[in-house]
Amino acid sequence: MQVRARAVNRFALAFRLPVIVWQGLFFLGPLFFMIAMSFFLVKNYRMEEAFELKNWARMLTRGYVWDSYWYTFGVAGLATLAATLIAFPAAFALAFRVSEAVRRWAIFLLIIPFFTSYLVRTFSWYVILAESGVINAGFGTVGLGPYTLLNTPIGTVVGYLTLTLPLVVILQTVALANIDRNLVQAARNLGCPPRRTLFAVIVPLAKAGLIIAALFCFILSFGDFVAPYYLGGSKPPTLPILIIDTTKSGQQWPRAAVVAVMMMLTLFAIAATSIWLAYRRRSSA
Amino acid sequence: MTEPLVTLSGVVKRFGDFTAVHRLDLEIGAGEFMAIMGPSGCGKTTTLRMIAGLDVPTEGEVRIGGRLMNEVPVHERDTPMVWQSLALFPFLNARENVEFGLRMRGVGAHERRRRAVEWLERLEIGAFAERNIDTLSGGQRQRVALARSLVTEPQILLLDEPLSALDAHLVIRMQGVLTRLQRELGITFVYVTHSQSEAFAMADRIAIMSEGRIEQIGQPREIYRTPASRFVAEFVGRNNILSGTSRGDAIETALGTFPTAGLPATGAPATLVVAADLVRIGRTPSDGAVPCTLISEEFVGATVTLFLEAVDGTELKVQIPERTLGELNAHAGGSFYLSWPADAGHVLAES
Repeated sequence: MQVRARAVNRFALAFRLPVIVWQGLFFLGPLFFMIAMSFFLVKNYRMEEAFELKNWARMLTRGYVWDSYWYTFGVAGLATLAATLIAFPAAFALAFRVSEAVRRWAIFLLIIPFFTSYLVRTFSWYVILAESGVINAGFGTVGLGPYTLLNTPIGTVVGYLTLTLPLVVILQTVALANIDRNLVQAARNLGCPPRRTLFAVIVPLAKAGLIIAALFCFILSFGDFVAPYYLGGSKPPTLPILIIDTTKSGQQWPRAAVVAVMMMLTLFAIAATSIWLAYRRRSSA
Repeated sequence: MTEPLVTLSGVVKRFGDFTAVHRLDLEIGAGEFMAIMGPSGCGKTTTLRMIAGLDVPTEGEVRIGGRLMNEVPVHERDTPMVWQSLALFPFLNARENVEFGLRMRGVGAHERRRRAVEWLERLEIGAFAERNIDTLSGGQRQRVALARSLVTEPQILLLDEPLSALDAHLVIRMQGVLTRLQRELGITFVYVTHSQSEAFAMADRIAIMSEGRIEQIGQPREIYRTPASRFVAEFVGRNNILSGTSRGDAIETALGTFPTAGLPATGAPATLVVAADLVRIGRTPSDGAVPCTLISEEFVGATVTLFLEAVDGTELKVQIPERTLGELNAHAGGSFYLSWPADAGHVLAES
């Protein structure tokens, strides 16, 4: 029995080893290196190993870094709010108003956008958002515009939504479709009008899934480079753009590492808070 | 029966091609404890859901207190239901679950809390008011579900197999709680179950359903002693069912001819039902007794059911007190003789 148990353990270890090695080599290793690098110095355009707080002191006291930080936080937050609100009616309809077969087809169709490169999908927005584009042509027929949509925060948010909206709809649909219908009927049976069931039972029951969907949207938007660069005009720069700019200007990899670590810490905090909110147990006496 | 509170007349419910309920007529009195009993798929839950408005009848009328309810939406009916799954809200604690109906009716927070706590205390779970639902035991959840349904002081309470998930000893306790509540409140209980013991223990009247139709409505004793159809005789109690031909004052069956009252005209087919607890069993032959071989026994505490086989293969059942089992010296394969008094037989009206 002993021998067999050990054999099984070895098998289990061998089974998990690739993931452990991969994550160690390509995630944890670089992460620690990046944290270490944020304390390195650059002299004559060459990086030197050191343990100095100069990069941190410099970046955390520069106004443009904080402007960029709060701007990124703001547009990513706006995209998260927009995605959540735009996705919800669609997810609600897919979860409650259509048959199982239609729901499966819809989820399949929502996956299709991921077949095409996000970069390509981003560029296609030029046709729609440009001053000579579809939207302004529409406004033009009623004597309005043209409005500047490209190279604005609106462009950035549109780009973020291109990346995240299908995913948010899918996650919300799954969350809503898994609700126990008896609970919705029970609410109505206890005097809850149909419209009121939305906030009285449906949203509370799907809470965890809705929060996880929003969390994914925020994480993807916060770290995205493509949308703010090509549709937002990188003014002001978001943190990913700031990282690129910092590495390009004078080989300041350590300072870029500071920004990257700031982003990592922010996402850890957001993810931890979201998961706490999603799965929080109510006080129990 | 007092004045009917709930009236179903000519009610039909179809789901696509499937007819769940066929032209059902049912009157349930104010303050009555009515059980609707039948095997799964017989339409009993659909009937309950039509009273609640969760299902809308395809044909026919549902009236509550004389008012036609067909078009009245669920949330305006005041027909709370205790669900088989209990359907407690997991995101609310016990007290907030009980408050839900009051909140929907716009009762103020202070008054809501007072009434919810009062009901939780009445059901002896006041100490668990602030607990999460998933930290409560099955019995405690059951009481929260009851409190949640009763806190709005409805005229009628619908119960859909509420005790089916509980342990046997808790079922007996909750039966006591339910009957006591129903007597104290004086409101109508409509109780759907497949369990004979639950229906017989609690209900004033029982409706037996099969394949979307009511087979019989009556008091428990009436249903138990005088089943109206072969289905009821097979579904309720432990009955011996013998088909035969009427000879006027006796019925001729494959096992012999038995004197019985209430038979149709001579020559007509008839079915004799003899409850297992009215059958006498002995080791010595007597006039008119049916010789049998003991196949098996089923022991359920104070009574034992013996399953026997007659010469022609007919299965017969006898229920005797457990304490008499010893003196009978019953063991599988043994020969016995079964008989019953002429007034123990019940002739089915149909067939």
